Amino acid sequence: MTSTLTDRTSRAMGTYTYTSRPRVLPCQRRRYRDNLLQPEEEPMRYGNIMYDRRVIRGNTYALHTGSLLGQPDPLELQKEQAAKRRALARKRAQEQLRPRTPEPVEGRKHVDVQTELYLEEIADRIIEVDMECQTDAFLDRPPTPLFIPAKTGRDVATQILEGELFDFDLEVKPMLEVLVGKTIEQALLEVMEEEELANLRASQYAYEEIRNVELAEVQRLEEQERRHREEKERRKKQQWEIVNKHNETAQKISARAFAQRYLADLLPSVFSSLRDSGYFYDPIERDIEIGFLPWLMNEVEKTMEYSMVGRTVLDLLIREVVEKRLNNYEQKENRDPSLRSEGPNGPGAMGQTLGGYFNLSQTQRPLSDRDYLQRTQYDTRSSSQERRFMEERELLGQDEDTEMRRTLGKTDPAA
Amino acid sequence: MAHARISMYLPPDINPTKAAIAYGCRALPKLNEELNSEDLLTRQKALMALCDLMHDPEYVYEAINLGCLESLKSLLKDSDDLVRIKTTEVLYIMATHNVGRNGFLENNVILALSFLMNDPYSLCRQNLHQAFKHLAELPSGAHGIVDSGLISPLVRKLQREEENIQELILDTLASCLWEDATEALSSGAVPFLKQKLVSDNKDIRSKAARALIAISIPLEGKNQVWKHDVIPILVHLLKDKDGEVQANAAGALMYATVTTEGKYAALEAEAIYPLLQLLSSPLIKVRLNATKALTMLAEAPEGRKFLQVHVSTFHELESDQNEAVRRAAHIAIQVIEWKP
Repeated sequence: MTSTLTDRTSRAMGTYTYTSRPRVLPCQRRRYRDNLLQPEEEPMRYGNIMYDRRVIRGNTYALHTGSLLGQPDPLELQKEQAAKRRALARKRAQEQLRPRTPEPVEGRKHVDVQTELYLEEIADRIIEVDMECQTDAFLDRPPTPLFIPAKTGRDVATQILEGELFDFDLEVKPMLEVLVGKTIEQALLEVMEEEELANLRASQYAYEEIRNVELAEVQRLEEQERRHREEKERRKKQQWEIVNKHNETAQKISARAFAQRYLADLLPSVFSSLRDSGYFYDPIERDIEIGFLPWLMNEVEKTMEYSMVGRTVLDLLIREVVEKRLNNYEQKENRDPSLRSEGPNGPGAMGQTLGGYFNLSQTQRPLSDRDYLQRTQYDTRSSSQERRFMEERELLGQDEDTEMRRTLGKTDPAA
Repeated sequence: MAHARISMYLPPDINPTKAAIAYGCRALPKLNEELNSEDLLTRQKALMALCDLMHDPEYVYEAINLGCLESLKSLLKDSDDLVRIKTTEVLYIMATHNVGRNGFLENNVILALSFLMNDPYSLCRQNLHQAFKHLAELPSGAHGIVDSGLISPLVRKLQREEENIQELILDTLASCLWEDATEALSSGAVPFLKQKLVSDNKDIRSKAARALIAISIPLEGKNQVWKHDVIPILVHLLKDKDGEVQANAAGALMYATVTTEGKYAALEAEAIYPLLQLLSSPLIKVRLNATKALTMLAEAPEGRKFLQVHVSTFHELESDQNEAVRRAAHIAIQVIEWKP
């Protein structure tokens, strides 16, 4: 309301502009307890502006500056302090000037005494009387009384009789049609949907049956095919193995027959080769060969050795005899050194003499020796051991042997 | 004094739980904006309205074009439960439409959804798994799920979830395994499925058997099925009362007995008798799968010997109404009478 008033006045006297519009400040005085839910339609309480402390009254020439909002004016502060100091100083000065009672004498004490007629009790305790004062408790604000405006105007009544406004049956038809129609439409839709679904399901069912069966058939045929194929494979493999075995056995048989034939020859040839290399021997022959013949040879050797020994001995004998004879002859020659010249005839003479001695020795020897010698000579000549004999002769010295042979040869035709 | 209001009651067609849908082509953009608003109530009302709209494929297409999926993805992480439940419901409804599924794959919604697998509200998880199930029925959707590496978490969840959610997970797994079973095999899904085969709920049994069918298509799957001794359980299930369970068990046997080990395992578990019984079942699927399983077993010499006695039943089947059954019976007779 105030705002509208100011609006009107401002409009009457030209528009004012405000940085802050003048408004009513709410009064802080509360009469009732604050409601927790502050109803908004309560009138705002405002205080009387005449008694508001915030409003400046009186002269505005010498206003109280500063110190309103807590920023103390420094000038004021100083003045205050000076005043305080002066007051204090005055008080002290006055204390000094005030006449006092003299100090008590030594050993005595001043005491305050009452001298009136009626003594008063002087007590430290001050008589106190308690007085209380209490404001009335805040009451709840009573609810605003219902505003019942005074009745104004005139009462008028009217009445609608049957059939005056509209005919219900006629009017309701289209509405009903719409309502029922919509409901039935919705219902039909749902029923059709269900029927469609049921049909779909039935056809799906039938299809599924057939599909199951066909699929099973397909799988069965597949399985059958697989089994047949595997069976065929197995049989084929078996056949193949049989054929293989057959071939192998045929080959083995032929190989065996061939080997038999080949080896049939082998045995006789083996035997013959063995026989040829002397593995089959007549035991008696062998025995003779192994046992008898070496012994025979040994004996022959021994006998030969005997004869050799005999010969060597004979040679030695001859030599000795010849040497002796030579010595004898030399001695004889020394006695008789004129006739015989030894140089060139030395060897011939020696030979002759040797021959001569040999003859002598021969005659000196027993007959058996000569015979034996002859025999052995024949033997040695006739047998194939002639070579060995020759070797033994070489031991004795070849010259002598050849000589002997010559002489022997000489003597043989003689014998 | 006259008031503008006629009565104290709201007009009857205003649903306070749904946002008002704007007229015509403004509906979806406005809802999209409301989805991103800060106010929880607005978001919830917008979601409820969106749920109703998504039944119409045209709206789905438009919503995806507008990029509602981004707002929905961010709403999946919302802290309010109703928001999450409704968002998953919207996504589930969208997944029932092909446009929606393609939009999921393009906008990478699978990953965002997978974070909610551990949500405390079962309704949320149920919607989530329904969305996955619908998504998995599309081959590229199944590939998307496999590529996001969701197979092992799904298999683990099989253990701990409630029954109806388990059914959904089994359906999702079966569809995914049709596409690519290698990851599931490497994460050891066969023992879990084996456990589910002996559960009490017949739906779970039949769906577990169906998942086993899918898993035993590749060779590795067949080997694992044989190794974990699932075949005797399957033979036992052949004598189950429910036709679906029988059909799916016969189907799983049919695939598992393709390998020689599987054949002999089935013969040891005496699978031939129950399968012969199933040949006279009323359900086409049962007859078909049983015929095929018997054909597999007839490949083995022992099986052939045994079945030569029963060739007459196969001849009967040859005059069956269904084309596929006739063909299967014919093939079976060929296999049984084959001489090496």
